[in-house]
Amino acid sequence: MAAADTPMERTMFVRKATGLVKGWSVFDAFIYSAFAINLMALGFGYAFTGIAVFPEAGLIAAIVLSGLFIIFEVLTYASLIAVMPRAGGDYVWQSRVFGGGIGFVLAATGWWFILWHWVPIYANIMIIEFIQPILNVLGKNGTGTFDAAWWNPVHGTGIFIASLATAVIAAVAVSIGMRNYARFQKWCFYGAMAGLVIMLALFLFHSKADFASAFNKQTDIFGSHDPNAYAKTVAAGHAAGVDYKGFGAFPLKATFLLIPFMLFYNLWPNWGATLYGEVRGASDFRKNIYAMGGALVFTTIVVVITFAAMAHAMGFNFYGILSGEYWAAVTKAPTYWFPYPGMLAAMFIGNGFFQVVFLLLLSLWFFGWAGSVFLSSTRMIFAAAFDRILPEWAAKVDDRTHVPIAALLLMLVPSIPISYLYAYNSSFYGYTLDATVVIAITYFGTTLSAIVLPWRRREIYQASPIAKYELAGIPLVTIAGVIFGGFLAFCGYKWFSDDSYGINHSNSLKYMAVLYVIAIAIYVISRVVRRREGIDLAMINSEIPVE
Amino acid sequence: MRVFFATDIHGSETCWRKFLNSGTHYKADVLILGGDMTGKALVPVIDDGNGHWHGTLQEQRRDLHGDDEVKAFELDVIRRGYYPFRTTPDELAELEADSERLDELFHSHMLGTVERWMQMAEEKLAGQPQRMFVCPGNDDQFEVDDILAAARRVELAEGRVVDIDGFQMASTGWANPTPWHTYREEPEDVLLERIRSVTSQLTAPPERTILNLHCPPHGSGLDDAPGLDEDLKPKHGGHAPEPVGSTAVREAIEETRPVLSLHGHIHEARGHTRIGPTLCINPGSAYEQGDLMGALIELNGKKVKNFVLTSG
Repeated sequence: MAAADTPMERTMFVRKATGLVKGWSVFDAFIYSAFAINLMALGFGYAFTGIAVFPEAGLIAAIVLSGLFIIFEVLTYASLIAVMPRAGGDYVWQSRVFGGGIGFVLAATGWWFILWHWVPIYANIMIIEFIQPILNVLGKNGTGTFDAAWWNPVHGTGIFIASLATAVIAAVAVSIGMRNYARFQKWCFYGAMAGLVIMLALFLFHSKADFASAFNKQTDIFGSHDPNAYAKTVAAGHAAGVDYKGFGAFPLKATFLLIPFMLFYNLWPNWGATLYGEVRGASDFRKNIYAMGGALVFTTIVVVITFAAMAHAMGFNFYGILSGEYWAAVTKAPTYWFPYPGMLAAMFIGNGFFQVVFLLLLSLWFFGWAGSVFLSSTRMIFAAAFDRILPEWAAKVDDRTHVPIAALLLMLVPSIPISYLYAYNSSFYGYTLDATVVIAITYFGTTLSAIVLPWRRREIYQASPIAKYELAGIPLVTIAGVIFGGFLAFCGYKWFSDDSYGINHSNSLKYMAVLYVIAIAIYVISRVVRRREGIDLAMINSEIPVE
Repeated sequence: MRVFFATDIHGSETCWRKFLNSGTHYKADVLILGGDMTGKALVPVIDDGNGHWHGTLQEQRRDLHGDDEVKAFELDVIRRGYYPFRTTPDELAELEADSERLDELFHSHMLGTVERWMQMAEEKLAGQPQRMFVCPGNDDQFEVDDILAAARRVELAEGRVVDIDGFQMASTGWANPTPWHTYREEPEDVLLERIRSVTSQLTAPPERTILNLHCPPHGSGLDDAPGLDEDLKPKHGGHAPEPVGSTAVREAIEETRPVLSLHGHIHEARGHTRIGPTLCINPGSAYEQGDLMGALIELNGKKVKNFVLTSG
């Protein structure tokens, strides 16, 4: 027998029994969350360039403010994990609270179908943050096949090849199993952080004059040979009439309008949520908050520091001008840059070899994260197969290799034609802008289930370690859910009502609707088929009376 | 034949009560509880004098005033699968220093609870047609078998073949070695011999045979548990599951090729899979939440006609 650890008085005695593991490492969970809200891949890879759309907004303020709202997402998800620790995610939480139909439709769209569309988005990031910078510093800057410009995301074959590569990387991640992938991801984190520290040092130890000079010189690489490129780029920004605000600016209305862009990068700290072991309690709830919230706070701080370092070296507004130039809001600039800070910092390194090493280290932000595009989906597919909504074969694992073949194929196969359409059909590209929206809707469903949880599943809630946390008699999970749900509702309203976000067009909405109709159809067909077989799917989550 | 199977309720009174009601709820003919029915923790309720008490559950201290509040707290402890006991600060200090006394206290609570549960089963299932089998698991001490064997309404399944409506079920709750050195675990070769000693008694054809083996087969996905370091801490924040099931169990399934194989042991590995013609199921466990995870399976004598995992 062993006594549970408390410093003053024994509050519990545990005996020898299976599963009594010690506490998991907050740092390990923190790494998963930090990778999920990937400041380099998702932040600098897309979200922060949203400043081009709302130049009058305060970018730093939007980053910090959105982070504050996301804290309530962390609270909501940590609460759900504490109440239903082994449930395994949105699908099961929603199913247990609202029933299997709602759970399946929202999870299948948000964790399965939409992630097919994330494959070309990941590929896009791979191109602008890995392929093109490496080719640039190697001097392969022409428009010839496989040269840097050839890979521009608007170019069909380049993005298609990168999509296939992304799908293969994700498939390998699923195939090698979580144990190996977790180990790989940890090493990637250390390498990526080393790259980030070098990048910050490069920005901090150089002046604006150094940057202008390096930038002008860099135009040689792009073949434009312009000794005044920096000044002309700034002038182009002024000529376009855009007036980017300063580092600390906080114009309230415009900043709120920019926030829906920020969700592309910081909506995902819940991917690091975990809970294992038994016979503990509130400390695991707090550990999840520390891990997810810690990753969110850490990432937000690092982003702010990075922008401060960039502002020191190149001027804060210059990032906005480059973003505007990339999204064609600012034209007639001498170069066509994606404002990838890695490439901007690499300009300070004179040696080509060290440039490549530096860019490879930074690319680990992408490679350590790329597997996530399929990993969580396979879990959702398994859970739906275990609930008999999907056929039994969907959960099939190969006896020899332990690879979840069917679930992997259900991710991999559809992602290829979707990547093809993304690459070669210009209107289809617009549909993928819904990628964040569909997952946000799934999170919204989970948030609603969290809000009503204390009443809908009273017994389970009361038996949880968070039952005592309340404010003015209202459960903390409900308060956190209402705030986060309100925040999501605001972003959803803006996405669907404001053309600025590129989502609010009829074809895009119809496309989204088709995804939901497919999910509903699968559930209805499954329910009918199972009923004929003698299984009532409604029975899965029906609670057995205690008395 | 409609079977409801649940497992690893670990002292949760809520789950036991739900299990007793599951036959009616799911219209099952046979109820099988797959092992590890005893709890893992004792929770002291400490007398502070003058009718004041305190106790700590899920790391949250509760100050209790009067018998009603103490009883309510004890009920919360019981619902979660732990055993409350009333004590004084002095007794508690003595208990910390005396592992033998602590052992005795654990045993008396575990066995006392199982005895009470058997009585509850007798009252609850009186007049109902379902048969109920219980097979202790590796976390259950051996005295549990005696209590189950003596029970009137519950049938002990450990180490034997039982006939159920034209089917046969072979059971054992023993497992391969765990890091916790529990009551019923042994090396794989010894475990295989133990299982074979039971399966050799089977006379029914494979399509009418059920294996009820607490430990899941190795590498089946039903045995994925978080990988642990030497200090029993989950590696990689618990994100890196490893197969910890039994090769002996897998071999036994491959040899016997039963229509159905029922497992538990690894609470987080809820799922189903096929090994040859055998449908293998681990319904998982969420006993601390009072959620009875189970599997409802319909057999027609030729195959598994249908099945579904439940969360009741």
